[in-house]
Amino acid sequence: MTLRKLFLATISAATVMMASPSFAATELQVQRFFGACDADFGKNTDVTKAVGECGIITSLINKFAADNPDIKINVTTVEWPGYDQLTAQFASGDAPDIVTIHESVLSDYQSKGLLMPLDDVLKTVGLTTDQFTGAAKEGATKDGKIYGLPIDNWTMLYHVNMDLFKQAGLVNADGTPMLPKSPEELLAQAEQFKQKTGKPYFVQNLANETALFTRNLYTYLFQQNSDFFADPKKAKFNTPEAKKVVEMYKAIFDKGYTTKNLDYGGAINAFLAGEGGVQLNGTWVVGDYNAQSEKAGTALNKGGYAVYPYPQLFSGAKAQYADGHTWAVSKKDRSPEQTAAIGKFLKFFADNDFEWSRTGHLPAYKAVMESAKFKALPHRDTIAAIATLGKPLPSAVQRQFAIQDIVGEEMSAAVTGQKPVDKALADMESRVNELLANL
Amino acid sequence: MASHNSEIIGRSFGDRVLFGLVILLALVMAGPVLYVIALSLKDNKELMVDPHSVFHMPYTIKNYIDTIGTSNVFSWVFNSIIVAGGLTVFTLILSSLAGYGFARLNFPGRAVLFVIVLLGLAVPEQAVLIARHQIFSWLGLHNSYPGLILPGLSSAFGVFLMTQYFRAIPKELDEAAILDNASRFRVFWKVLLPLTVPAQATLGIFTFLGAWNDYFWPLISATKKEMFTLTVGIASTQMNFAQSQGIGFLMAQAVFAGAPILIIYLFFQKYIVTAVSGAAVR
Amino acid sequence: MAEPRTAGTATARSRRKSVDIYAPQWRNFLFVAPYLTIFATLLVFPLFWGIWLSFHKADTFSSGRFVGLDNYFRLFRDPIFMQSIWNTFYFVFLTVPALALIGLFLALCLNRRTRSAAVLRALFFSSSVLSVTIVTLIWRIVFIPDLGLLSMVYGLFGAQAPAFLADPHLAMIGIAIATVWWCIGLPMMLFLSALQQIPQDIYEAAALDNANRWQTLWSITLPSIKRTFILVIIIQIVLQFQLFGQAWLMTRGGPNNLTKPIVLYIYNTAFQRWDIGLGAAASEILFLLILIAAMAQYLVTRRKADA
Repeated sequence: MTLRKLFLATISAATVMMASPSFAATELQVQRFFGACDADFGKNTDVTKAVGECGIITSLINKFAADNPDIKINVTTVEWPGYDQLTAQFASGDAPDIVTIHESVLSDYQSKGLLMPLDDVLKTVGLTTDQFTGAAKEGATKDGKIYGLPIDNWTMLYHVNMDLFKQAGLVNADGTPMLPKSPEELLAQAEQFKQKTGKPYFVQNLANETALFTRNLYTYLFQQNSDFFADPKKAKFNTPEAKKVVEMYKAIFDKGYTTKNLDYGGAINAFLAGEGGVQLNGTWVVGDYNAQSEKAGTALNKGGYAVYPYPQLFSGAKAQYADGHTWAVSKKDRSPEQTAAIGKFLKFFADNDFEWSRTGHLPAYKAVMESAKFKALPHRDTIAAIATLGKPLPSAVQRQFAIQDIVGEEMSAAVTGQKPVDKALADMESRVNELLANL
Repeated sequence: MASHNSEIIGRSFGDRVLFGLVILLALVMAGPVLYVIALSLKDNKELMVDPHSVFHMPYTIKNYIDTIGTSNVFSWVFNSIIVAGGLTVFTLILSSLAGYGFARLNFPGRAVLFVIVLLGLAVPEQAVLIARHQIFSWLGLHNSYPGLILPGLSSAFGVFLMTQYFRAIPKELDEAAILDNASRFRVFWKVLLPLTVPAQATLGIFTFLGAWNDYFWPLISATKKEMFTLTVGIASTQMNFAQSQGIGFLMAQAVFAGAPILIIYLFFQKYIVTAVSGAAVR
Repeated sequence: MAEPRTAGTATARSRRKSVDIYAPQWRNFLFVAPYLTIFATLLVFPLFWGIWLSFHKADTFSSGRFVGLDNYFRLFRDPIFMQSIWNTFYFVFLTVPALALIGLFLALCLNRRTRSAAVLRALFFSSSVLSVTIVTLIWRIVFIPDLGLLSMVYGLFGAQAPAFLADPHLAMIGIAIATVWWCIGLPMMLFLSALQQIPQDIYEAAALDNANRWQTLWSITLPSIKRTFILVIIIQIVLQFQLFGQAWLMTRGGPNNLTKPIVLYIYNTAFQRWDIGLGAAASEILFLLILIAAMAQYLVTRRKADA
């Protein structure tokens, strides 16, 4: 043991000696999703100029690299969410140092001992968990330790095209959009919208999509107090509550209150082109959409852009499905320099969480959340409520992305009429439980 | 192209219908590519506002400038050339040697081994993929050129093709040489190998294209951006275009990625055609 | 092993002098040794390792325990797996006949010396050199609603384009169209080369008999390329059976798993659900299916060759 330490010390001393004259940088492999936008932001280090998830994360990393010439950041951008690749990387022992992982996915990798607990590293750079917001702290903590540096919490929102809402007569006296309070009201308003504008109420990306369906279902199950993961190893989806939700979305689909064949990119294009009233999309597009609405000639500029949490349609808990992004660190033998570099990187993101929150995400730090400049960001008054509404799945539930795919597939089959609702819910439940029984 | 008599297009009505059909198919072939090129020449923001703007001015080369400036497409193409080229060279060497061995030489167990290799033809790459991925993990071969090249070398197709080809060469040729006391390798190298050039070309082209287009193995083996091949690299930026660079940029990148191989193809078209006709159908 | 060699040499020598050079010799093995080494380590060993894995409840990050045939039972209880087998056959059924027939049609039409035929041949083969990610990108752009080429073309006629990648009835057809577009070059080339190998004198004889072109086609051309036709079918079945990239990149296997082929099921299982044992079992089923297909084709082609 001591011999090994001595050996390692000699090696690292030699490395340092050899390295220091040439000012060799400590290299960090960083892997992230959020897209690639090098054409617009590849060289940008002025974070305040960046817009949107991709622009801001690219600029933040550029800024960090510029501020720390002794640290070489090597960024790999993966297609969202990148977990297949990450799994293959962990399997081959080639995992990146720092990687974006959803709070809902952390426990998959953490339970296999692949991630490094960050408590010590964070302590060395002066970060403690009491600086995190409650949701961020809960999401990043597994078995009492921090396994990812939280950078945000996110949820799905109603992105509203006010021009079309005005045409549809769905505007309150104070100029805010009129949003439904029950499933029946939702259908009635959607019908009115369709009659008046000739366009669908919802812009949804339903083509080969699973995540949106699943998040919609979770949200309205929460609102009916349906505890579908009371046992994290055994899901309960074949319930009257789930049926109510699926049937509501099926009615929306059947009556043409939604766009039908768009994929994610197509749905964004359609909403920005004014093809429908409400887009169901996440917090991450608030910044982009707001920027669009300030440009003359765009569909959102005509009558304005508004954004709200999902309306409360049921009488149960006031809640909606939420998750968060974190920077996780793979478990690996590292030199003190590398560990220190990782600490700096994480600290940088904690310090710049305000910039990240400009995307539309909720900040993961109390100080940012309470700051005047965050509150002054556009639309934060209407979506501030998500801080208390947001609710993740119980963190003990594993393979949440695989579950999301199954739930989404079955719900999609039911909504689009490929399967009877009851059959889809029964299949959903049995498939998820088969997955969980075979972990 | 000698067989004039097998032409079925002439000047009758039926011939015109056939001609029309060929032209229609040609449009289907070319249309999507032209559309992609048109998109690549449009400003992303303009496309976002009005998709129909793709059919009229103004066009811009900004997307291409951006691609040259910021995309990793060149390093992807480079990796693909190394991998596909390396795989082709080694496949030709191994398959020629083994093909000669199986076709012309005798050694203990030859018949059994050849049958086993033939059975190998029926093993799809995907059937051994999981195990291969584990083995390469143990050996630390992922994210390396050998890691990307080696799996393709195990394909039995080349050996099969070359064995068939060597068998079709009249035995008198090498028998004469061997009776003149030339070594086996000399006979292989000097007498027979030059005769197999058409087969080499065919095998080479198929191997190169197969490796160039391979997606599954690089997807799970080349997980670092430095090692991305073209297929994986393009795929990594393909989804969610609305959120990132915009559709015009992606199309410019795709044109960049597709152009080199298309140009190579157009240059060597004659040889490719001869190669395919030379050996594939024997 | 030395026994048959001496015996062989002895009998051979008694017959003809030249047979000597075909006597089994160990050093001849050196020619096949390099390939066989790779073959054994990268194909045979993984094959058996995969079979071994398929009997285990193993996950990506921990070696599992032996469960016998349990993974296979799970597969056959899984409707998604059965769906993926069906999808694969359906895809083969959609693409292989189309590739063979369109390829043959194009070869017949373009088998001439004119410049325009040469240009068209180049055009039809050119898509084959593109990689799957570019092909799928191109076709997603064609099929995408509103922005897509297809919806533009339909828009000219005031019609709504079908949603090729989202409609449960059309999704696989959409993938098949992209695949035929991508792969049409090879069958066409194979047919062209077969056509050029038909001896001219047969046609000259037919011309003397005043056979018209259709008679020539039916009684001379098509019979002469029968073997090529079978070859094209075999090559394409084996290729298309391994569908992965197009489905993964265009539809992710959706809607509702209707375009999920076996290979994608294996990928999902091994790299998304981390269920290596189950994925290995699915791989063995894929192997078995291709083996059966290969055997069947071997028998068919042999009987044809004998006849």
